[in-house]
Amino acid sequence: MKSPDIIVKTENLTRQFGRFTAVNQVSIRINRGEIFGFLGANGAGKTTLIRMLCGLLKPSSGEATVAGLDIKRESEKIKQKIGYMSQHFSLYNDLTVKENIEFYAGIYGLNRKQIFQKQNEISKQLQMEPYLDSRTSDLPLGLKQRLALATALLHNPPILFLDEPTSGVDPRARRSFWELIYQKAAQGTTIFVTTHFIDESEYCHRLSIMDNGRMIAIDTPESMKKRYKKKSMQEVFGFLIREKGI
Amino acid sequence: MQRMLTMIRKEFRQIFRDRPMLVIIFIVPVIQLLIMSFAFTSEVKHISCLIVDFDNTPMSRDLIHSLHHTEQFDLTEMTTDIRQIDERMKRWQVQMALIIPPHFSRDLERHLNPQCQLIVDGVDGNTAGVALGYARGILSNFQEKWTAELTASSFHNDVHIIQMTERMLYNPDLRSQQFMVPGIVVILLTILPMMLSAMSLVKEKEVGTLEQLMVTPLKRYQLLSGKLIPFLLLSFFELFIVMSVGITVFKISMNGSYLLLACLALIYLMTTLGLGIFISTITHSQQQSMFVAWFSMIFLILMSGFFIPIENMPLLLQKLTYLNPMRYFMTIVRDIFQKGSSLRFLLKEAIPMTLFGLMIFTLSVFKFQKRVQ
Repeated sequence: MKSPDIIVKTENLTRQFGRFTAVNQVSIRINRGEIFGFLGANGAGKTTLIRMLCGLLKPSSGEATVAGLDIKRESEKIKQKIGYMSQHFSLYNDLTVKENIEFYAGIYGLNRKQIFQKQNEISKQLQMEPYLDSRTSDLPLGLKQRLALATALLHNPPILFLDEPTSGVDPRARRSFWELIYQKAAQGTTIFVTTHFIDESEYCHRLSIMDNGRMIAIDTPESMKKRYKKKSMQEVFGFLIREKGI
Repeated sequence: MQRMLTMIRKEFRQIFRDRPMLVIIFIVPVIQLLIMSFAFTSEVKHISCLIVDFDNTPMSRDLIHSLHHTEQFDLTEMTTDIRQIDERMKRWQVQMALIIPPHFSRDLERHLNPQCQLIVDGVDGNTAGVALGYARGILSNFQEKWTAELTASSFHNDVHIIQMTERMLYNPDLRSQQFMVPGIVVILLTILPMMLSAMSLVKEKEVGTLEQLMVTPLKRYQLLSGKLIPFLLLSFFELFIVMSVGITVFKISMNGSYLLLACLALIYLMTTLGLGIFISTITHSQQQSMFVAWFSMIFLILMSGFFIPIENMPLLLQKLTYLNPMRYFMTIVRDIFQKGSSLRFLLKEAIPMTLFGLMIFTLSVFKFQKRVQ
């Protein structure tokens, strides 16, 4: 029986590339409205995991459902339910801000009127009015990142996957980005975020730490610090990698 | 439908904003057409010719004169030193030498079958062959003329010579442009769609937007048709430009049906656009796909009969050309332009071309998955 509150569920999810196991028997349950963080060094398997959940990669073994849909058989249906943003901020640099919004909104099947509304809404929310008609390549990085987030949310998906969304962005922009994430979570969107910034992990409701494809801990940041008697997540992370890492 | 239109609109916006791309699409083909059709000419004209005349009689001078009075030969020099021939050929100053032996006219008058020698620079075999053919023609005319004169003035009137009347069909002036320009049309309809579709898909792969599109509900057919329809339209526009330039500047005659040409071009574009998709699925960067595209293009062009007539190839290679979809389209376009052939005469090419098109396109579309590797 799956509980209605569990929106993402994986069971021994595994992915191998040749003889290399990128994700090794990961089992998690994520509740609706949660901000769930995945912390790990580069190459720990975070991106592979997120790609499997988005239907971009087939798992080698194991099961997973996203919004109640099976990732092996119903990956195309899942795509209506999720928003996805990768570290590349996948916007078209040669299109203007307006055109990017128009394009992704069109792809998600919004009509003319809705597209126009969205353009207004986003430009107000992100204070982008002066940039609407400039090329996306000319935007400051932080703004570009927030625009990428806005385009990933055009269709109001119940689940949002963020793959290292803040890499390469300055701390101030990171903070305003996280404010947007909190707003979304407060509206009931489930957020699944990977990061290699340890300080960011404190922003998550619950956290899982990955090393070499295996999940070595899963809990709230608070109880992790308590359990291992550390003052910061930095220390917890260092301790866990030393003790449980491979 | 709306999703596809969104894709198409975006694609056109990107194309028209990319200046280097615009140059490649609109200017390069015209320059290619101009340069290629002037440079790749198979016409042999103005062969520089050295004359070694040991006879020096009115008759030998008449022979020289008849060579001189053609477009094909330029007389560069007269000499009586045979060693000059080798010297001049090595210096690339002459391509052909005619040696008229001593007593040439005397022997001819006495019916002693005098021998002239033609020495041709055989480095470029094709030109040498053509030059030799021209010279033979001139010599045989000369002989006919003198035989007639000599027999008329003597009792030997039993010489019978076959009179040949010649007529060239379809390209009466033997203009090589009439042959080359349709070939260039084929090349453009190969390079442009293949390169553009491969490059634009791989570019999105490089930037990461393709991955983004793959997590949207956009269906594979919507994604691909949104990508390909703009290039299809551009290819037709290109076809239109190149044909207009060919017809107005080079005075190419188009003897067949435009509609037939357009329909068969559409079928051929399935092949080239399909190859473009295929290349994008096996490469990871624009450089890689450029390299693969060039490599396959050289194979396609060399084996299509564009420069090298397929009949001149070794048998094994001739058989291999049947695997080259471009070969069929090359024949089709040349036949439509020159012979004005209707579909009935082109089925032999159109059917295999269609099969190749369907096969390549379907395979490529299946190979293109909404997943990452």
